[in-house]
Amino acid sequence: MEKQEHFTSRWALLLATVGMAIGAGNIWRFPRLAGQYGGAFLIPWAIFLILWSIPLIIIEFSIGRKTRKGVIGSFSEIMGSKYSWMGGFVAFCTMAIMFYYSVVCGWALRYFLVSITGQIDVTDHAQFWNTFVSGYQPLIFHLIALLIGSFIIFQGVTKGIERANRILLPSLVVLLFIGIIRALTLPHASIGLNYFFSIKLEYLLSYRVWLEGLSQSAWSTGAGWGLILTYAVYMKENEDVVLNSFITAFGNNSASLLAGLAIIPAIFSLAPSLIAAENALKAGNDGLSFIVIPQLFSKLPAPEFFSAVFFLALFFAAISSLISMLELATRIMMDFRLPRRKALPIVTIVTAVLGAPSALYLKFFKNQDWVWGLGLIISGSLFAILVIRFGVNKFRNEFVNIVPGDIKIGKWFNHTVKYLIPAEAILLLVWWLYRSMEWNPKGWYNPFQADSLGTCIVQWMIALGLLFFLNGIIQQRLLKRKN
Amino acid sequence: MSTNAIIMMIVMLVSIWGGFFYFLQRAYKREQESKKSEKIKNDR
Repeated sequence: MEKQEHFTSRWALLLATVGMAIGAGNIWRFPRLAGQYGGAFLIPWAIFLILWSIPLIIIEFSIGRKTRKGVIGSFSEIMGSKYSWMGGFVAFCTMAIMFYYSVVCGWALRYFLVSITGQIDVTDHAQFWNTFVSGYQPLIFHLIALLIGSFIIFQGVTKGIERANRILLPSLVVLLFIGIIRALTLPHASIGLNYFFSIKLEYLLSYRVWLEGLSQSAWSTGAGWGLILTYAVYMKENEDVVLNSFITAFGNNSASLLAGLAIIPAIFSLAPSLIAAENALKAGNDGLSFIVIPQLFSKLPAPEFFSAVFFLALFFAAISSLISMLELATRIMMDFRLPRRKALPIVTIVTAVLGAPSALYLKFFKNQDWVWGLGLIISGSLFAILVIRFGVNKFRNEFVNIVPGDIKIGKWFNHTVKYLIPAEAILLLVWWLYRSMEWNPKGWYNPFQADSLGTCIVQWMIALGLLFFLNGIIQQRLLKRKN
Repeated sequence: MSTNAIIMMIVMLVSIWGGFFYFLQRAYKREQESKKSEKIKNDR
């Protein structure tokens, strides 16, 4: 067995968890929604930080600290051997996201390189993007990003994850500040700020805006993905999980606000009209980042520099999340008695192969993003089910409030985990699946359509069936480790 | 910028960034305390 590594300090752990939480969603999804719905979106986004993300982050930190095992081992230890498949589903969802997340890192890296070499100075950015994604280059950059991530993980917790996050996170903050200074000094930047922060009653009363706020909070903080649990395996015994959870969650949302301040005023200032700016925000995540932003930045003096700053920030945000996903998969293999040096090449090869279709076909990428992004809501609720089955009060006393001098979590945690998180998960799932029927009234049941309800159900069922079938084998491997 | 937007901007920045820095300083204090108690333990 390998010697268990630990983060050298609380700050190292926090840099890693905040780095994990801040990802592409902070840079490309948050500004898009906050620009569209303004202050009315920020209210539910902040409320659900407390009512969804923080309780789940506390659960993950507490489980990892107590069991010192990855996701599957933890579910098996707490819920019993029959339920390893539940941990398996959490891991499967996050790994399925990892396969295409590496592609996003590759896109950001490629766009950073074309920015610094001046090749981004083209007239038709939509065509530039379409030519790029329909060629073989995304595959090459997917592999490069994956190799960078794997190299970091190969160094281990202290020399790899810790050291990388010491560089990535502060650099990301500096890049965002450069963006903010530039955006706020542009003419008419205040129009963007007005859109960002003003509350419109029609949006505040819209259930859609509340559900978007909940979705953003659920996806952006990384709560319920199993990633915090994985990092918590390496935390010190006497560390305060509640305080760490609040810092991780608030750190993530602070970074989202920074990204919003850098991007929204720039869009409103550089777009030729208000309608054009509003349409830019509706262009979708990849459309906004890779077509609209380079197009708008081309109007600035030194456009290459500001494009490079934006794409390097996106790359840093994405790679710090990718390494946590690689560690999740590697940790699970290590629980199956494989040393890191053997586990990581397997994880890397599998990710390279299974990420290739997303790198080569944008439609496949969008399908996977739809299916497994939504699957994360199920992942989050599985953590709540674990705690409910164990006993919420018992969990609070035996897993959370155990270190003297820590912030003690009160009874609000019991009610949130028992009632609110399951209710939020059901609401979110029903709403998104209903929306998929709205988008596609004729083909919603068709499993071969990229964003249909049918494709979600079929892929989830395949994953669940496979994990259920393999439950016995998974258990045997975990027992071998114990013996 | 409208008054509505200015108030919301202040509320958001103070609550989210303020919350982040408040919890960070609590963690810093806690670290200092545990370092002190560790030192006392070692001195004994």
